[in-house]
Amino acid sequence: MKETILKLKQEIIEALNLEDIHPEDIDDNAPLFGSGLGLDSIDALELIVLMEKNYGIKLKDHAEGKAVFQSIAVMADYIEKNRKK
Amino acid sequence: MKITHWIHIRPDVIILDGKALVSTGKGIEMLTSVYRNRINDYPKYFKMDSLSKLGFIASELLLQEEKERLVNVESRAIVFFNRSSSLCDDKNYQETIRDKDNYFPSPAIFVYTLPNIVTGEIAIRNKYYGETSFYVLDCLNTEKMKQIIDDAFQDEVTESVLGGWLECYDNNNFEAYLFIIKKNDKEEFLLDWNIETINKLIDTNK
Repeated sequence: MKETILKLKQEIIEALNLEDIHPEDIDDNAPLFGSGLGLDSIDALELIVLMEKNYGIKLKDHAEGKAVFQSIAVMADYIEKNRKK
Repeated sequence: MKITHWIHIRPDVIILDGKALVSTGKGIEMLTSVYRNRINDYPKYFKMDSLSKLGFIASELLLQEEKERLVNVESRAIVFFNRSSSLCDDKNYQETIRDKDNYFPSPAIFVYTLPNIVTGEIAIRNKYYGETSFYVLDCLNTEKMKQIIDDAFQDEVTESVLGGWLECYDNNNFEAYLFIIKKNDKEEFLLDWNIETINKLIDTNK
């Protein structure tokens, strides 16, 4: 799980151009949207692309995405249970 | 009308009101260096495409020269021009959809596939509620640019325009000539807003 979390953080930093943010700066359990990293709606779409591109996971609806993108820890857990590559 | 401040940016030099600015690096790295050293309070910069980065840096350096930075105003319009529209970002977006077996359209790149996004970025940053427009011309035509910017002053609210040429082919090939143009301004740095001055400023630095 720790490896998945670290890899996911690195992928998110790169995909979302989070300049000056390092994996250790991101709290595993902090909200990704609103407070926390302060991501926006375009970032959410990029995360959906990232999930499909890197892990073969297709998020089907808005509600599912909202649940999965709660935090890095929740995302990593979902990836480990549902990844296809 | 008067030009209160002007800026010229090429991949290897930045000239603000006729004086070269000290900067490091070339191309987009130079712009990012300027962001870190002189701005550094707007992380969204890093998410922008190259055209928006160029427009953002040029506008920030210009606006830092104003005695009082305008915010929440309807009286300032933004009017930009170039030749290649958003081609730079269009090409990057095409790369994300070119391969059928690796087809992952990037939303973050897609949102910049219009040239007028940069005018919106600057308006959002500065809370300008005036006109924003971006014209794609056949070439750098100073007479046409002046005519269109003059037209922007014809409404009842516009008192100043942030306008000019903003061209970006890729991270290492770009050029900006931006001006702040005001009605009857009393600031110290003033040039007449006429075609002779515009041609002189643009030709001098080519």
